[in-house]
Amino acid sequence: MSAAARPMRGRAGTPDARAGVLGVIRPRTRWREFWLLVLVGITLTIGSVSLNATVVAADAEQGAALPAGALAPYRGGLLLVYLGALLAAHLAQVLAGRRSDQVLLPAVGMLGGISLLLMSRLPQDLAGQFGGLARTQLIWLLIAVALTAVVAVVVRSDRWLRLYKYTWAAAGVGLLLLTFVAGREVNGQRLTLDIGPLSGQPSELLKVILVVFLAGYLSENRALLVEQSTRVGPIRLPPLPYLAPMAAMWAIALGVVVVQRDLGAALLFFAVFLVLLYIATARWSYVVIGLVLFLAGSWLMYNLFGHVKDRVDIWIDPFADPRVAGYQIVQALYAFGRGGILGTGLGNGLPVVAGRLPIPLIHADFPLAALGEELGLIGILAILGLYLVVIERGLRIAASAADDFRALLAAGLSLVVGVQAFIIAAGNLKLVPLTGITLPFVSYGGSSLVANAIVVGLLLALSDRGVEPPPPPQRTAGRFRRLIDRGAA
Amino acid sequence: MDGISLSLWLLRLLFLLFLYLFLLAVVRVLVRDLRAASREPEAELGRLQVVASPGGEPRAGTVLALDAITTLGRDVNNTIVVDDQFASSDHAVLTFRGRTWYVEDLESTNGTYVNGTPVDGVSPLGYGDELQIGQVRLRLDRARR
Repeated sequence: MSAAARPMRGRAGTPDARAGVLGVIRPRTRWREFWLLVLVGITLTIGSVSLNATVVAADAEQGAALPAGALAPYRGGLLLVYLGALLAAHLAQVLAGRRSDQVLLPAVGMLGGISLLLMSRLPQDLAGQFGGLARTQLIWLLIAVALTAVVAVVVRSDRWLRLYKYTWAAAGVGLLLLTFVAGREVNGQRLTLDIGPLSGQPSELLKVILVVFLAGYLSENRALLVEQSTRVGPIRLPPLPYLAPMAAMWAIALGVVVVQRDLGAALLFFAVFLVLLYIATARWSYVVIGLVLFLAGSWLMYNLFGHVKDRVDIWIDPFADPRVAGYQIVQALYAFGRGGILGTGLGNGLPVVAGRLPIPLIHADFPLAALGEELGLIGILAILGLYLVVIERGLRIAASAADDFRALLAAGLSLVVGVQAFIIAAGNLKLVPLTGITLPFVSYGGSSLVANAIVVGLLLALSDRGVEPPPPPQRTAGRFRRLIDRGAA
Repeated sequence: MDGISLSLWLLRLLFLLFLYLFLLAVVRVLVRDLRAASREPEAELGRLQVVASPGGEPRAGTVLALDAITTLGRDVNNTIVVDDQFASSDHAVLTFRGRTWYVEDLESTNGTYVNGTPVDGVSPLGYGDELQIGQVRLRLDRARR
């Protein structure tokens, strides 16, 4: 038996001949992405002009005519640089000739642009090392866009993700333990890790690693998880031995995260774990068992840990202590209330109380409250709609993926972003207890933007439909016909 | 409402309007994409890639589309004819039930192997698994869509 005929793994159903074709890279136009990006640019420019006019009108005296410069974009340089970066990412993909998704980049680019508008509108001394909030956010956005483009263009094979799933898992756990040992405490949570001048929150990166590991493990053992079962008396339970490594990974992640008091990340990891298990097996029993475990764990944590109890109590009745414990939630609810349906307009909301914004962490934990006030119900519905678009694209990529690993990876990556957005959105709206995770692509912060950029880049890479199929045979047929005709003549 | 606040109000609404225009454009692309996907003819259920075939029939490297019930063996009446001297005339059958492929050994002389382990009766077959019949090795792949 010769092993020479073994074709490449990773791309299903393609013969070896493809290796030669892969070398040739031809630019390929992406007009759909281009026009959507143009629309993003127009929308953000209008938003910026609206913001500028509001700010100028507020500065001008009551009843006076608007100064001449009122209709320029607000801090247009920042916006211009950002839009240029999006265009560059688009051009990079055009030149690389990938046949990947054309909706993801504009949708995510719009969210990033709204983030930039919000950050340039907030007081600049809230945070930021490089000359203010907006400038720092712009630098991180540029890094994120560049990272997305690089991952989307460079990643052509999923072998390095697929083969080393246990290595990835080990790296993730190591990262968490490192944070626990060497991390710095910020706002009562030990989440931040300093490496030289850089500081970041590893749990953001960990969510990507967790999805990669779960996708690798589940795709390998899918058939076993579906077919086998452990019998305990009359009850058919899932095959426990095959769940052990996964449950261990989950327990380690969850345990460390709970010790670090990062409830949002714990909730996110658990949700993604359950969703991927269900996608891989289509067995409701897993979901039911998972939810029961979740309820039991929540009850236990509520009674064991003071900080969990505090969070839940604040959630149930923030008005019990509206000046200290429930302060942020109460102020966020007021902000949503002030916004109403149409919003107060960019630059018109967020009244300053005693020289400070009512919500101290508005740029990190409550960007949705700020947007809800200034853009209203209509505005945040559109923003939540953009997250739905990201989820839909991810599931669509998963549905047309060539094998189980790629399908699970695409579904997991898009859902991790979507679930995170909805956890923090629901937290801001007092639908679930507030947890300190970021709103993907919108919140201020480098590690969140970088991790989500990697997610988008991987989704783009996974959505690539490979080398173009050979052109339809009409031309050759025509040439044949001509030859035959010539022969007949 | 004076002229300035009216124009500010209109500018605000224009931003929201364009936000929704963008969302509409995106949703149109998505709907078109889904329509196009559903118009495609009923996709095949899976495919077998011939990894190694010393006998030359089926040829190594060929990709065979699978029916919901696909029989393999040396007999010419099989869906996939495996012309190998170690294959039985009715060697094995692949069936697609629910969402999973199963392989059943039809009491062949030399047995059917999945990833190197012999199949006893019926066994589930995952995408990427390697099936061996005689000296012929085949890999089950997901259908391309």
